Amino acid sequence: MQRIACPERDDWRATAESAGFDFHTIDGERYWDERAYYAFTLEEIERRIEEPTGEIDAMCLELVGHAVDDEKYLRRLKIPEAFWPLISESWHRDDASLYGRLDLSFDGRNPAKLLEYNADTPTSIFEAAVFQWTWLEQSIERRIIPKRADQFNSIHERLIEAWKKLGGTHHLHLAGMTESTEDSGTLAYLQDAASQAGLETTLIDIEDIGLRDDGQFVDLDDRPIELAFKLYPWEWMFHDTFGARLRGAPTRWIEPPWKAILSNKGILPLLWEMFPNHPNLLPAYFEDDPNAAKLGTSFVRKPLYSREGANVALVSAGTTLAEQEGPYGAEGFIRQAMAPLPNFSDQYAVLGSWLVDHTPCGLSVREDENPITGNTSRFVPHAIL
Amino acid sequence: MKRSRRVVLTLMGSAAAGAVSMGLVPRIDCGPGSTVVPGPDGKPYCRPAYGGFGAAPHRFHGHGHGSHAHGGG
Repeated sequence: MQRIACPERDDWRATAESAGFDFHTIDGERYWDERAYYAFTLEEIERRIEEPTGEIDAMCLELVGHAVDDEKYLRRLKIPEAFWPLISESWHRDDASLYGRLDLSFDGRNPAKLLEYNADTPTSIFEAAVFQWTWLEQSIERRIIPKRADQFNSIHERLIEAWKKLGGTHHLHLAGMTESTEDSGTLAYLQDAASQAGLETTLIDIEDIGLRDDGQFVDLDDRPIELAFKLYPWEWMFHDTFGARLRGAPTRWIEPPWKAILSNKGILPLLWEMFPNHPNLLPAYFEDDPNAAKLGTSFVRKPLYSREGANVALVSAGTTLAEQEGPYGAEGFIRQAMAPLPNFSDQYAVLGSWLVDHTPCGLSVREDENPITGNTSRFVPHAIL
Repeated sequence: MKRSRRVVLTLMGSAAAGAVSMGLVPRIDCGPGSTVVPGPDGKPYCRPAYGGFGAAPHRFHGHGHGSHAHGGG
């Protein structure tokens, strides 16, 4: 694994905007950054990232199978009891999942370590599936990178196939916070892929989902929402007014309710408990577990629910080295062993390993000067050399 | 080869959420949360309640503070 500085395509911003990638720059700071790329060998990709990704996903599914009907697990995850039947029923119906993204620490030498699983509302899929693929093709053409370069990225084709399988003859609604440029871009891309799969689609703001008096969720045209992709987390749905009506409505959600278990950082100590000393896991404990003392005075503290590094703290020898502000933590925290992110040219890099329909199929790399990856951490393309 | 053979976009940039404007109609009883609106055939029908999802980000991130709340992560 290397980080290689390279020239930018002089028209990359225009290319981004013509494809609807309006959030390439956030608050005046680069988000998409092609001043460098990460290079991996094929062996690193296949044996050290792709294979472990499949294995971790399988372990996660095994955990869900245990957790869905076990009150002990559900209480530890602080999932509200009112939603246990919704989650259990979705699992036992085998409600399908579209995608997810594992965040991994990998330095090219040691086994990749699971930092967390973005199982419910992962973003950066457009950048991963489309824009970095376009970067590769154009950069080869323009001799910015070697002609032999490849990329771990079959996300786009697999998404279309997955939508064909998931969608059938249903009309698909895609819902989210459409005022967010990033979220609306992600929704637009997934809508595009669904459309290419032959589905008819409607994009809708999450607040514009209606509830009819017969208990059916509907859109602004009063059309029943049968199949809905949501870029809006389950833990927020549970606390919203319509949350209480989820179980009674026939809407099939993507990601399905059982994914609420995996998007919870409480799975980290639960996985460690189920698969102790697995090479791709880090020791982790719930903060109120006496066994947390095994981590000593150096660990990473993470809320059960948070996103993009919010309220995550790096603690070393009892001193907080870095902490991200945020509104999370009410449900409690876990502690995970410190696995310092690799540092390439003063940039801390995190890998996002994508699964579509439970198949590992792509890679994102985010980097930051800050060791806690956040929403504005830059997306840097990669190649296989 | 470990990458897609072909990546083509057909919709991006052109998708837009649809919205339908409805006028006021004579009252009928629709139950809590619902309102009466004219249906396609002119007869009144009970418009669904809206806004039951979407409150969480406002609880977390507040209003009008330049927040960057979004559902993805």
